[in-house]
Amino acid sequence: MALPPPDPQFVLRGTSAAIHTLHFSCAGQEPEIPVLFSGSENGFIHVWNLQTHRVDTALDGHGGKSVCCVETVGGKDRLLSQGRDQRICLWDLAEGRAAVTDSVFTGHVGFCRCSLVKVAQGRWLVATAAKGLEEVEVLELPSKTSVCTLKPEVGAKLGMPMCLKLWQLSCGSQPLLLAGYEDGSVVLWNVTMGKALSQLVCHQEPVMSLDFDSEKAKGISGSSEKVLRIWSLNEQQNLQVYKTQELVNAGISDITIRPDKKIVATAGWDHRIRIFGWRKLKPLAVLDYHTATVHCVSFSDHRKARETLLAAGSKDHRISVWSIYSQM
Amino acid sequence: MVVFDTPQAAFGALRPACVQLTRAQTVENVRRLQAHLAAVSGAALQELQEYVLFPLRFALRVPGPKQERLVQSLVQCISSVLAATCVRKRELLQELFSELCTCLAPPPSSGKAAPLSEELKLAVIQALHTLMHSAYGDVVLSLYQPSTLPLLGFAVSLLLGLAEQEKAKQIKISALECLQVLVLQCDCQEHRHLDEEEAQQCGDLFASFLPGISITLSRVISGDIKQGHKTTVSAIRLFYLIVGSVMSDAQLARVPKSKEKLAVEQSRISELMVHRGPDWSKSTAQKLSLLLHKVVESSSVHPHWKVRLELVELVHHLLRNCSQSLVDSFSHLLKALVGLVNDESSEVQSRCNEVLRGIAEQRIVAQNRALADVLSENLHSLATALPRLMNSQDDAGKVSTLSLLLGYLKLLGPKINIVLNSVSHLQRLCKALVQVLELDVTDVKIVEERRWGPPGSWQQGVRRGGRQKKYFRFFAEEKVFQLLQQVCRVLGYYGNLYLLVDHFMGLYSESGLYRKQAAMVLNELVMGAAGLGVDVLQEREVPPSMEDLKASVTSVLDEYTDQANWYLITSIDTEEASPEQSVQRSGLVARPGGLCSSVLLPSPEPQVTTRSMNSNIWQICIQLEGVGCFAAVLGKEFRLLLLSALYPVLEKAGDRTLLISETALGTLADICEACSYDSVQCLINENSDYLVNGISLNLRQLAHQSHAAQVLDTMLRHSDASLLPLVEDVIQDVLSALDQSYNNQASTFLRVLHSVMTALVQWCGMCSAEEHQQGQTAREQSRAQSQGQREVTVTRQEVERFFLDYVRQKRIAEGDAPDTGEEEEADEVPPLAGTEPNNGDPDGEAPLPIHAQLARDVMERCIHLLSDGSLRVRLKV
Repeated sequence: MALPPPDPQFVLRGTSAAIHTLHFSCAGQEPEIPVLFSGSENGFIHVWNLQTHRVDTALDGHGGKSVCCVETVGGKDRLLSQGRDQRICLWDLAEGRAAVTDSVFTGHVGFCRCSLVKVAQGRWLVATAAKGLEEVEVLELPSKTSVCTLKPEVGAKLGMPMCLKLWQLSCGSQPLLLAGYEDGSVVLWNVTMGKALSQLVCHQEPVMSLDFDSEKAKGISGSSEKVLRIWSLNEQQNLQVYKTQELVNAGISDITIRPDKKIVATAGWDHRIRIFGWRKLKPLAVLDYHTATVHCVSFSDHRKARETLLAAGSKDHRISVWSIYSQM
Repeated sequence: MVVFDTPQAAFGALRPACVQLTRAQTVENVRRLQAHLAAVSGAALQELQEYVLFPLRFALRVPGPKQERLVQSLVQCISSVLAATCVRKRELLQELFSELCTCLAPPPSSGKAAPLSEELKLAVIQALHTLMHSAYGDVVLSLYQPSTLPLLGFAVSLLLGLAEQEKAKQIKISALECLQVLVLQCDCQEHRHLDEEEAQQCGDLFASFLPGISITLSRVISGDIKQGHKTTVSAIRLFYLIVGSVMSDAQLARVPKSKEKLAVEQSRISELMVHRGPDWSKSTAQKLSLLLHKVVESSSVHPHWKVRLELVELVHHLLRNCSQSLVDSFSHLLKALVGLVNDESSEVQSRCNEVLRGIAEQRIVAQNRALADVLSENLHSLATALPRLMNSQDDAGKVSTLSLLLGYLKLLGPKINIVLNSVSHLQRLCKALVQVLELDVTDVKIVEERRWGPPGSWQQGVRRGGRQKKYFRFFAEEKVFQLLQQVCRVLGYYGNLYLLVDHFMGLYSESGLYRKQAAMVLNELVMGAAGLGVDVLQEREVPPSMEDLKASVTSVLDEYTDQANWYLITSIDTEEASPEQSVQRSGLVARPGGLCSSVLLPSPEPQVTTRSMNSNIWQICIQLEGVGCFAAVLGKEFRLLLLSALYPVLEKAGDRTLLISETALGTLADICEACSYDSVQCLINENSDYLVNGISLNLRQLAHQSHAAQVLDTMLRHSDASLLPLVEDVIQDVLSALDQSYNNQASTFLRVLHSVMTALVQWCGMCSAEEHQQGQTAREQSRAQSQGQREVTVTRQEVERFFLDYVRQKRIAEGDAPDTGEEEEADEVPPLAGTEPNNGDPDGEAPLPIHAQLARDVMERCIHLLSDGSLRVRLKV
């Protein structure tokens, strides 16, 4: 008989608003305290100290509008946050500061989270849904110059971009962008050429979330349906459906592949977090704690794989932190 | 009286008397000379020294029997001359020395001590004493040549004979003092300090006398008490001085490998000389060890404190000078020393401590492997005997045994680790400690004393750092426990913390029999390691870092709060016992699915005796105290551990057993102090997020629900309105848990919900007038609820009126804008009111009869609505 599902290692409370995004920063050396950033519906970004499990600082930079994405740019002292106030803010958190150093107006009104990739030392690309309804804009950071705007062909009727994943095969190679659209299709873009390489209709409903494993050239996407779609990318840069995983309850709001590419976590509208093995998508566990929709899941970037944590943020204002390494 | 300052004048004055004395050796003539001497100044007399001494010596040398009185007066006269002058010539010194000795010598024929009068003996001894003091430094040394060995030996044996056989105290003491001067160890400061070479030479000489001196002295020391303490004291002093000089490590180290060849003419003398080679020192040390044992044994129990003090000095002196040569004797010596630490005389005590500290500071032990071996050997045998001794001795004996143990540990200091690294030593010591610390678990009262209902005076009941008084099987006196405590702390102070903690954790988990004691030892070890409450002789080289401490504490804490060690059966109350037992029965696996199985099935009654419950209670208490200790050790660093520690402690604070809840409160107070929180309330308020987390997680597991409820209960009691958002959060959890398990946990939850209400009433009570009204409402609710629970005669009408009243008030409070929630609530009120009076036996404490479950369910929902409603009311304001 399978073991009973584990309890969360810890539950972080006190944001007093639904959690929309989470991001760990735990790769620092010993004296540095691992932290978890959470962005919540009331516009606050909370910096959680994972040693005391308390909020170190609360950042308010999006005028009370929901924060939909938080990423660190380099170390944990530089933070990027995207809010529903149509801005992307850059924060300087070094030495206790908590100031917005820069901000970009995206003009996008949807929920689409931006995606960040490091292309060179001190240079990042960030992909974000743009003002034009179907467009995605790629910006370079920290210069904020627009690299390109990815527009689907006229008449493609993809709808708004829903989720983005910017990646490159190796450092220095061409950055590629995977974008999930409102009509349920996933499109692979070449960022430098600004051209769609491949398009695959994965879902009947809008793609809510996707993640991609560049090593295995496989990606996974979820929508409001009862399925998870796994697709692969062949050498000709064509997307193909690889596998379909049926779910019990419909609705996936977030998907994350663990950094070691062994397992996948999904955040479900059914209040549950599901863990699958990434290779065969074998269901491993259902983590049941939250009492409302889970909005986001995130794996930590601990140096030691054994310490890796999983955090899930939910509409019930709580962030549950799980240690699942030993079970998996 | 005229004083003659110049030699000429003095000569004039002394000459007639001297001439007369030379002619006729009578007592009167000697007296006259002495009278004249008194008038001569020291400087003048120095010039005339030999002239004056001549007639006196002549008189002594005259062959034939002499009057004793004459001899006595002659000797006294010589003594007075010598006292005023210096002996500058070697020959003079040697001659005078031998002449004086001859006075004491028995007639050659008899072979026994001369039957001389005591006065004479005393006079001669004093004259010898004076002679030794009047001689110049290098002149004195001329006496200590191999050639004068026979002469010295003669004097020594004479004096020893006197010291041993005389009856008169005065003579004994003088003889001993004189001997002391003779071996160049006089107490007074006038003597020239010997350089190394000279000391070495003298040491070689005295080595010949050592057997005689030491044997005789040991006889004197262990002799009749009636000889007076002064004699014993001087004998002890002489003993250690001579042994200390002959057996001195420094000298022995410089002894050449082979015996020096002396000139042919001295060959006979050279036979008398001893070569202090390794063989000799070894065999001498063996013999001395016997003597020392005897000396120590007799004098450590000597009734006079000065003797015991001198014994301390002896140990001190020998340890300092002969730590290598006399290693074999050290077990006795140290035992004596350590045993005297708790002497009844404060002088002895303080000196003893001083010496011990000195020893430790000089790191004699730490640097001396052999000595450490001796100590560890002693320790081992003591540890072996400890349980037996503790079983058989009376309290005083136990105290002395333990102070001995403590003394050994203190002396070993940093070397403890060497001992501990030996498995057998470590095991012995640990086992001994654990066995000695066995608790008495027969008291039924501890199991019976319960905390009934919620006490209102919790805040006052909190004692700071107080420990529960424990009852041990083997001893009753507090002093014994304190010593044991010190033993553990000293161990922790010096010992390798990881090793010790590991070992005791092993014992802890090895057997339930050892668990309490091991936990107790662990607590003290950690205290000691942090240097708290330890009294030590020497500082550690490297105090353990905070990191190490933290690592150890964390591991111990994890073990303590492990489910298997934390949730123990402490009572046979059906209500509380059932979930606990189910924990035990189902192992540690939580059983989320099997809601009813653990309760509905008649649980096979485990063998729960009063004794085992008592033991469990104590274990929990000790573990709680441990948490307090750890907090004290880590100080503010402990705040990080509160995450895992606070919840279990608070859980125990809500325990029904009086002892446990008291201890837990004490621990809370300790934690407050250590982590510098102002009060328990502060502590709970600031860490409520941790608690809420614990509660919410534990609520998810059936077996722990009642504990979680207890914690919430405690938390609510000790906190204020600032907690409300968090509490709201957790109440939701409670209610959902309640929804899942009406049958078995309901009564616990009811109590919690009741305290929620009470807390809300309190918190609201501080607010404004309108709120006050609601506070009233809440109070009424809670009263109604408690009435419902306690089955006070609540009539149907009353309940109905109350609910209607409640709804009305609520609407007023919400500004006549009821939302759908209230509508529903209002709809539900009448049926609720209808069922309540029929409620069978919803007593908060009693198990629920099955027929009443339906009614209970409804009431649950009612309470659900009540608390929910009141919360909403509270939040809307």
